[in-house]
Amino acid sequence: MRTFRTLLWLEHRRSWVWAVSLLTSLIFWAWGIKQVLVSDIAARVGIRSSLLGAAAAIGLLVLAIMIGRLRAETRNGQYQVMLLSPPSGYTHILARFTYASVVAAVYFVAIGFLYWWIAELAGIHFDAVTLIELILGLPFFGMAMVVFPMLAWVLLLMVVVSSYRLAGSGWIPGTVMVFGSGVALGKLGEIMARVAYALPGWRIFRHALGAVVERFGPIDPDVSMEMSQVIYQGLPIEPLLIMLAVTALMIFLAGRIWQEVEA
Amino acid sequence: MTQAFLIVLRILLTALVAFWAYRLWIGTTSWTSRGIGMFLSILLIWQIVGEPIVTP
Repeated sequence: MRTFRTLLWLEHRRSWVWAVSLLTSLIFWAWGIKQVLVSDIAARVGIRSSLLGAAAAIGLLVLAIMIGRLRAETRNGQYQVMLLSPPSGYTHILARFTYASVVAAVYFVAIGFLYWWIAELAGIHFDAVTLIELILGLPFFGMAMVVFPMLAWVLLLMVVVSSYRLAGSGWIPGTVMVFGSGVALGKLGEIMARVAYALPGWRIFRHALGAVVERFGPIDPDVSMEMSQVIYQGLPIEPLLIMLAVTALMIFLAGRIWQEVEA
Repeated sequence: MTQAFLIVLRILLTALVAFWAYRLWIGTTSWTSRGIGMFLSILLIWQIVGEPIVTP
């Protein structure tokens, strides 16, 4: 445990500039949201939501670069002390993943909070349950489905490529990983679509529709029916569990490779 | 594109991925890396040869 904490501290020392820059960028996005002054309220909410969507996508990219600098660090010799140190490969990998995940959690919870702020600016007053779902439930679902697997995949990619460094360039393992993972993700998507909603869905935003109706009055029956169906069905749990399992597997494999190569 | 062209293309792509798989097998001391390399190479070959050829 002490070793893990030391490794976390080292991760922080290596990556704090990235983490602080990413979290500070939220001030820029909040400022950008305030600059959207389109008179039509629906368009204003739409543009502001798109800005936050862009913030989430850019944040994911920055986090992927932050966690994927392993190979450059190994090349530059920054990792030489680490490679000769007693902690296992699993601990190294877990520390790096944990640090990036914590930064991601803070960033995406803050984005959830900004979504709530957009709604407040538009005069939509969500209750406490919807607020918690917006700043905790939805970010957790999004992170479990996209962010954690993405970070674990980048980590695995870098470790696999590094395990071939004695054989020369890493473009062959890199290419096979990128294209092969694309195919694997397609197959995984088919499996997830097949098993989705076998278990009861995770029903969130049950009170959100009421708040929207309260602000804008009765909405189009077709839209209302679609929204009700999504809210009634909830978010599927099975893809969430599958992606969390895939994340754990990728972290395990990355740690295993580190053990085999550096032992 | 003719069916013959697509068949030749598939053979060439399969040979390329098979060569990569060979390089992935001999290029490391890690059995886990080899396993991942083989798994993804097989998946790619399956994708190349498994889909039916549809020509207009």
